[in-house]
Amino acid sequence: MKVNLMHGAGGAVFSDLLGKTLTKYKNNNAGGIGLESLDDGAVIPFGDKNIVFTTDSHVVRPLFFPGGDIGRISVCGTANDLSMMGGKPIALSCGMIIEEGFDIDILEKIVASMDEALLECGASLVTGDTKVLEKGAIDGIAINTAGIGIVEKPVRDNGLKPGDVIIVSGTIGDHGLCIMTTREGFDLGEQIRSDVAPVWELVKSAMDAGEIHAMKDPTRGGFSNAINEMAEKSGVQVRINEETLPIRNSVRSASELLGINPLDVANEGKVVMGVSADDAEAILKAIKKNKYGKDAAIIGRVTEGKSVIMETSIGGERFIEAPVGDPVPRVC
Amino acid sequence: MRKSGIIIIKGIVQGVGFRPFVYAQAEKYKICGSVKNFGSEVRINAYGDNFEDFLIALSKGTPLSKIDSITIEETDFNPPNGFFIEKSSSGSLSGFIPQDVAICDECIDDIFRNKSRYKDYWATSCVNCGPRYSIITDVPYDRERTTIDEFPMCRECTQEYESPASRRHHAQTIACSVCGPELFLLDKEGNPVSCNDPIKHTAKLLDDGFIVSIKGIGGFHIACTEISAQKLKECLGRTQQALAIMAEDKTILEIADAEPLDIELLKSPQHPIVVLYKKNRNSHPKISNLDTIGCMLPYTGLHHLLFAELKSPLLIMTSANAPGNPMITKTSTAVSKLKNCVDFHLTHNRHIENRCDDSVVREGYIIRLSRGYAPKRTKIDLGKNCILGTGPELYSNISIYKDGFSYTSPHIGNIKNPQTLDYLENTVSKFKKLTDAEFDIIAHDMHPQFLSTRYAMRLSEELGVETIPVQHHKAHIAAAFEKRDEPCVGIALDGVGLGDDGAIWGGEIFAGQINSLSRVGHLEYIDMPGGDLATRFPERMLFSFLPEDNISELLLSRGWKDNEVSILERQIKTGFNVFKTSSAGRVLDSASALLGICKERTYDGEPAMKLESVASAGTPEEWNLNIYEKDHCSVLSTKDLLKHTFSSIGRLSVPDIAASVQYNLSRNFAKIAISKAENLGIPDICLSGGVFINHAIRETIRDEIQKAGLNLIINREYPFGDGCISYGQCIYAGILSDN
Ligand SMILES: [Fe+3]
Ligand SMILES: [Mg+2]
Ligand SMILES: [Zn+2]
Ligand SMILES: [Zn+2]
Repeated sequence: MKVNLMHGAGGAVFSDLLGKTLTKYKNNNAGGIGLESLDDGAVIPFGDKNIVFTTDSHVVRPLFFPGGDIGRISVCGTANDLSMMGGKPIALSCGMIIEEGFDIDILEKIVASMDEALLECGASLVTGDTKVLEKGAIDGIAINTAGIGIVEKPVRDNGLKPGDVIIVSGTIGDHGLCIMTTREGFDLGEQIRSDVAPVWELVKSAMDAGEIHAMKDPTRGGFSNAINEMAEKSGVQVRINEETLPIRNSVRSASELLGINPLDVANEGKVVMGVSADDAEAILKAIKKNKYGKDAAIIGRVTEGKSVIMETSIGGERFIEAPVGDPVPRVC
Repeated sequence: MRKSGIIIIKGIVQGVGFRPFVYAQAEKYKICGSVKNFGSEVRINAYGDNFEDFLIALSKGTPLSKIDSITIEETDFNPPNGFFIEKSSSGSLSGFIPQDVAICDECIDDIFRNKSRYKDYWATSCVNCGPRYSIITDVPYDRERTTIDEFPMCRECTQEYESPASRRHHAQTIACSVCGPELFLLDKEGNPVSCNDPIKHTAKLLDDGFIVSIKGIGGFHIACTEISAQKLKECLGRTQQALAIMAEDKTILEIADAEPLDIELLKSPQHPIVVLYKKNRNSHPKISNLDTIGCMLPYTGLHHLLFAELKSPLLIMTSANAPGNPMITKTSTAVSKLKNCVDFHLTHNRHIENRCDDSVVREGYIIRLSRGYAPKRTKIDLGKNCILGTGPELYSNISIYKDGFSYTSPHIGNIKNPQTLDYLENTVSKFKKLTDAEFDIIAHDMHPQFLSTRYAMRLSEELGVETIPVQHHKAHIAAAFEKRDEPCVGIALDGVGLGDDGAIWGGEIFAGQINSLSRVGHLEYIDMPGGDLATRFPERMLFSFLPEDNISELLLSRGWKDNEVSILERQIKTGFNVFKTSSAGRVLDSASALLGICKERTYDGEPAMKLESVASAGTPEEWNLNIYEKDHCSVLSTKDLLKHTFSSIGRLSVPDIAASVQYNLSRNFAKIAISKAENLGIPDICLSGGVFINHAIRETIRDEIQKAGLNLIINREYPFGDGCISYGQCIYAGILSDN
């Protein structure tokens, strides 16, 4: 069997490749949380603290889009994965693979954008590597970043407990629909902007306000994928209240025009967390103070059982499923 | 001439009055001995001079029994004095469980006859009628394994139960007003309403326009009279969908045309909802905005008593459930879930163990296989593997194959709803227990996202057994064609199923034997912009069908906004979230949208059903459509069909165009199937798929096939629609694994 594009789309097909091939390392743990957990990052104990370590590669098209660019994503993607473990981002590396003929002006813009994002995170880019490939060997540019952070008590993605409350730090689906509509040239009147942003400050204020049981950034596969992973790894059921889900009108109408579920597409500056019910209001308040957390909302709760269920406004229920590659039509 | 023997009768012999029947025959033929029930067989020790006559009499069975085989073993026992019925014991379970049966005429007489001890008793039943499947907890079917067991028999009931002369001899559901389950009338909050006679009171409430939930055999109905129909639809959120009615036969015959077959079905032991043509297509618009109306007769004592008190000639009776969710079976659920809709609840304290929705039949074809028909048991040899078929996703049920029999569950529904998926999983456990099955194979749809597929994967991992994916339309054809050793040509006209090539199929012609069907023809591939969104809003498909015509203008004139139209156009151009489909359902939906008949689908099949309803008033014109060859398949151009449709607007009346769409789609598609059959020398053409519920399409294809001198094959035992899929999956997987 060969790798196909479905494998890269996240969801169940990717999980299969991941489980059967990409995690077959025997040397997979450096003492704390390792590859076996498939969490947002690894944790390595270091004295009375822990080093958090993660990596991410970025090939977004177009390179520049409303609200961000490939540089900003490269920094935020890695910094946010560190934040999801509760780790303060400290230092990043950057590996660039560039196609022959790539415009240096554009490269400069990308670097400047990365630097701006680093400033926002309070992290530094401390080491790097660059390769240039002949024309056609790669489409423009690919950027890999890796990063380390420091954390005392790591936050996992599998710690949801019955009784917990689910908080999302802002509107859902912005990045994914921004990229799709920009790339495909859909003119929606109102511009949809990517939410790409570093969330460390937001996460830190939330952690200071109360106890976070589990946390994940809903990137590839969107909110649907993140919440299903959290529920499954935690062995619980999550019930989401449809009316409370924050979704921008522009995102909603674009998704209704194109047949795309906004819950299934990537976000680049959002956090989904499960917190104890007692702390929920305090944490929500803390998140809302952050500039990236204004639209934060309590959207659901954790119960015993399995799977993720959406409670609809008319009193119905339906499953929120982790997307499997493309959504193939299924209504008779 | 034999004078003695052990007679072993296999089949459905439980709960159908078989032992009392044997007893009566033994008396008649002066046979000594005994009869004992072993689940799916009875064993009769018989001794007497009239043994052979006795045997002939037995082979006729009872009205509800189904005899698979009779064998006789020699015996050397000493004949007792007289004939005895022994207590049941469990045995092999291939006979399975009898279905729920509508109240019989004799019991109706019992509840209306003065001085009858069953007078006015709502749960009167006998050995020939009453609940069965809905109340059993296990097999064999005996009172102690039903939910009636909570109601110990009074002295008089015990006497009747034990008296061989009685119609209620060993009637497991025997009950009377002294000892049996009781009725309660509750207000919307679930508080008792004080009244002398809950039925009389309910009848008055219904006549006054209140909406009442009524607990029946396999679940709750929501009932009201015609004046409250609109209100009911609005609070159910189903303003467009036609509702079924319950009425006495004279009312039904006033409203609708019923053929002798329809009347036979209405009055059959199953008492299904029968879809009939209205006498006046515009009558009762609040109940049904189609040219048809679903009708059923009262089928329990409760219903008969209610109609005796009711002034209104008919009741709307719809299953009590949230859309897509399973029918409610518990009073507490009815009270909590129906708050917004229902004013009162007429309920009883007989527990519904197994949910069973009403069955629906049209022109003798089963649309929904449920109460009375299911659990559906079919004798079929699929080899030695025990197979579970997990069915489709939207109109689902499950089937189990074991030791020469297939068992299909009652209708389960749309399992995209968590409650309905739970119901499906519970049904699998229940059927597994009732049939004593250990699955070797789990067959499922090929669609990876169907929740039935995901469930099949999960279960196969738990049980460590093999899974076999079955293409949706091959399952349709497998369910339709019974001669599994011979080749057939199969026409599937359907909604949506994932095809072998990754496209969305639904207008297919196959040829070959069931296990090696190859696709030889199909409807043209059409773009589905936005995937399922195009199913909900069929106008989205018009660009794909009519790329050269000015569809933008048409859509704008119908209230589409500029940017909506330009985005749709762009989506088709870029292919972003666009799928290819050969679905016949999408063709009919699109024609319905093009003709301005239906632009949004609010319930399953709505655009096509409304198209059919309009078309039945029209006369078709003949169009010869383009048929071309592609990838070893003959392809019928549905773009050509819609082009003719579009250009006929203004020239022909809308009913005439609608009729022409159905007629020419079927006639041209039949032509392809017929030429394939003729070229391959195959005499049989079989039909399956939900589109064949459509009278005009089915009959047009029938005519063409018969004109060509070929055999038309339809399996009337299973639905055309997706209610046959789990059965077809078992057949396909069975044949595949047995070779
Ligand atoms: Fe189907
Ligand atoms: Mg992550
Ligand atoms: Zn009876
Ligand atoms: Zn009694």
